[in-house]
Amino acid sequence: MGNETTVMKIYFELNGETRYEEMESGESLLSLLRRLGMKSVKSGCDTGDCGVCTVLVNGRAVRSCTTFAAQVRGKQVTTVEGLGDVDDPHPLQEAFVEAGAVQCGFCTPGMILVAYELLQRNDAPTPEGVRAWLSGNLCRCTGYVKIVDAVLLAARWKREGRWR
Amino acid sequence: MRLQGIKRFHYARDVEEALSLLSAYAGRGALLAGGLDLARSPRSDLEGLIDITGLGLSYVREEGGGLRIGATTTLTELLESPAARRYLNGFLPEVLHRVAALPLRNQATLGGAVVSAHPWADIPTVLVALGAEARWTDESGEHKAPVEELWRKPFRKIFRQAVLTEIYLPPWDGGFAFERLTRSAYDVALLNCACGLGIEEGKIAWAQVALGATPHRGRRLAWLEEALVGKSPDEVLWAWVRDEVRGKAEVRTDRRASGDWRRAVAGTLVARTLAQAAEKAVTGDG
Ligand SMILES: Cc1cc2nc3c(=O)[nH]c(=O)nc-3n(C[C@H](O)[C@H](O)[C@H](O)COP(=O)(O)OP(=O)(O)OC[C@H]3O[C@@H](n4cnc5c(N)ncnc54)[C@H](O)[C@@H]3O)c2cc1C
Ligand code: FES
Ligand code: FES
Repeated sequence: MGNETTVMKIYFELNGETRYEEMESGESLLSLLRRLGMKSVKSGCDTGDCGVCTVLVNGRAVRSCTTFAAQVRGKQVTTVEGLGDVDDPHPLQEAFVEAGAVQCGFCTPGMILVAYELLQRNDAPTPEGVRAWLSGNLCRCTGYVKIVDAVLLAARWKREGRWR
Repeated sequence: MRLQGIKRFHYARDVEEALSLLSAYAGRGALLAGGLDLARSPRSDLEGLIDITGLGLSYVREEGGGLRIGATTTLTELLESPAARRYLNGFLPEVLHRVAALPLRNQATLGGAVVSAHPWADIPTVLVALGAEARWTDESGEHKAPVEELWRKPFRKIFRQAVLTEIYLPPWDGGFAFERLTRSAYDVALLNCACGLGIEEGKIAWAQVALGATPHRGRRLAWLEEALVGKSPDEVLWAWVRDEVRGKAEVRTDRRASGDWRRAVAGTLVARTLAQAAEKAVTGDG
């Protein structure tokens, strides 16, 4: 179909801010987000298997490695940078620290975003429910127990009104 | 960075526009739904991506006890839909909760699963057992075929020039069950099975049995379906099923499991799934 340019620009919302960004037509969302400085979004397998590249699109967790950047036109994208930072952590981030759920930390942003979607929909999950919900996110360090504890702790905080 | 050769990304507004773009790319354009498979595609010949999520094909509708599911409906949308919960007393949500993981289900579409039709996947096995019908449109008009028949055609070639629009699941008066054998809950299946049974006056009136990831794509075991009709759904029958399937199942070795292992477990898997379907048929629970 001719020699059209491979570069395009789209509007979308990134962590609450409207953006108008340039991208290659075949670029992944993972690549775009990292170019934009969202370094919480990690690259592990690049095939949709491990979950470290997870972001929220319109509030739903998806793999950014198997999403084309152009697919988020007009949508809201949230990364961990949009939840909180070291100076002002989100309660879910605090719960991960409090429960000792972070070792190397590579899987943590993905875990937090999947857990965030879970707690948005159900703030009283069972341990089995948390495990099932997080089953597509791999962690090579913790053995998962502390991660499940962290999500259950965050759920309790959410029920107690400690949330945002 | 993915798919280096892509020159343009299109947002199709209707089926006609998607078809005319496909035709203009003459095989070098691809429809994009969730993107899970396309993003992992090794295809270097692709020049155009055509996003079809704006075609209005994301819906789940009841029709005469059956379900019409738009091709771009995600697995999450499907499993959360009230209509799917009512169909066969929630059989679909029960299956879909066990397919892949949440972030993948948020993205994967039913249409994408039908067109990719991975031999190891669970969805083809379930659709085959349910007697699902695929409906698609190309430049010559609208077409339909049972998925099992579609997958016997060169279906990947068909969908280079056609839009899969809908999957239809017929009504059933009976119970369906699904089982999969995996290393962990999240791994892809080493063998999967979906069965449906109708029971009248204590005897099996009809049977649908599909075995997949053998490592072939899910197929019906017609010889078994026929043999089950008229029998009593009891332990004696399940023991017979176990032995027969072990003897006759067409399984082979691939990188995930050996043919010997698949053969050893296939009988138990089918018998177990049938027993569950029988229980649901009797209690009216799906
Ligand atoms: C990590 C991983 C784990 C998985 N685990 C499981 C599992 O446990 N069980 C299981 O059953 N499946 C599993 N799957 C498969 C999954 O269901 C499919 O990858 C998914 O459904 C594809 O849908 P999509 O919308 O993302 O497809 P896309 O990538 O958008 O499209 C796939 C193909 O279909 C074509 N296409 C899409 N929609 C249409 C349409 N409407 N008309 C014509 N052509 C179309 C595209 O051009 C492309 O060729 C897994 C996949 C991944 C990546
Ligand atoms: S990097 Fe995306 S799932 Fe592993
Ligand atoms: S903390 Fe290291 S991978 Fe999870």
